[in-house]
Amino acid sequence: MSNTLRPYLAAVRSTLTAALCLENFSSQVVERHNKPEVEARSSSEVVMNPLIISRNENEKVMIEPSVNSIRISIKIKQADEIETILCKKFTRFMMLRAENFIILRRKPIDGYNISFLITNFHTEQMYKHKLVDFIIQFMEEVDKEISEMKLSLNARARIVAESYLSQFD
Amino acid sequence: MSFRSIDVDALDEDILHQDELFVFSNGIEIDPETALNDVKTKEVDVRNFLTRGETTTALIKAIENPPYGLHTSEAKDRNTQIVMDVLNSTKATVDLTKSLSTEQQDILMKYIYRGMASPDLYNSAVLLNWHEKLTEAAGVGCIVRVITDRKTV
Repeated sequence: MSNTLRPYLAAVRSTLTAALCLENFSSQVVERHNKPEVEARSSSEVVMNPLIISRNENEKVMIEPSVNSIRISIKIKQADEIETILCKKFTRFMMLRAENFIILRRKPIDGYNISFLITNFHTEQMYKHKLVDFIIQFMEEVDKEISEMKLSLNARARIVAESYLSQFD
Repeated sequence: MSFRSIDVDALDEDILHQDELFVFSNGIEIDPETALNDVKTKEVDVRNFLTRGETTTALIKAIENPPYGLHTSEAKDRNTQIVMDVLNSTKATVDLTKSLSTEQQDILMKYIYRGMASPDLYNSAVLLNWHEKLTEAAGVGCIVRVITDRKTV
């Protein structure tokens, strides 16, 4: 684990713990509606200041809190073009199955690769510390996953190239 | 279909405007000119403290009286730059962050988040280190106050 990853994840963890104070809050504009205020933006007084935590230009997390929901957007590390493609495919795969991940948003916010939306109903059903753990674990795993995929992709490309070129021996 | 894109809620007289979120009138707490001049004089003081090696005093001076409110982005940028200079030249310690008052801790936390929001300008590794030490000293409540405070830096 490199030296900035631990404080980065610690900062995300403490910020998430601070931001996850959600309560049931019905829409102030439309009667009998109950929408995540961070998405609906119907009343600006219930949306709090967004916070950005960055490790470098390529890796950052934006946390947008509101009274009944928070939105977490993650920009995943992409060192080269292969990683960009892998990251795109990987997040797309997950976001197509967003309902299985419950808190996953179907589309990322502009400038980020993947977004989560946690509402007060999620925090009522699930433990807050487990939700935080999930996000942190996701951030750890996704980097590992992508670099592993990149290695196996390169290995496979090498084998393909070798077996293709061997017929010209 | 252009009528669909009209924000009818904006015409409601109960609507709350962005500048009404502030306790002071129209979101203007301080005249932008005055704010910028204040920050400029502060910059000189902080530089003096830094060259003399009094980093704690420099830090306290840098985060005191930050420019708040709307239309002061120039003063805010400049003040952020000052705070970042101090943070870069000081090593983060729990003792130093503990010695600050609660208000000072909150302001420092605001600047740390402000700095992390633009990783192309400021060194995130230093800020993450500061964030960790400050959270250790001030707790999660400090972050909650940064989230909820309308007085952004």
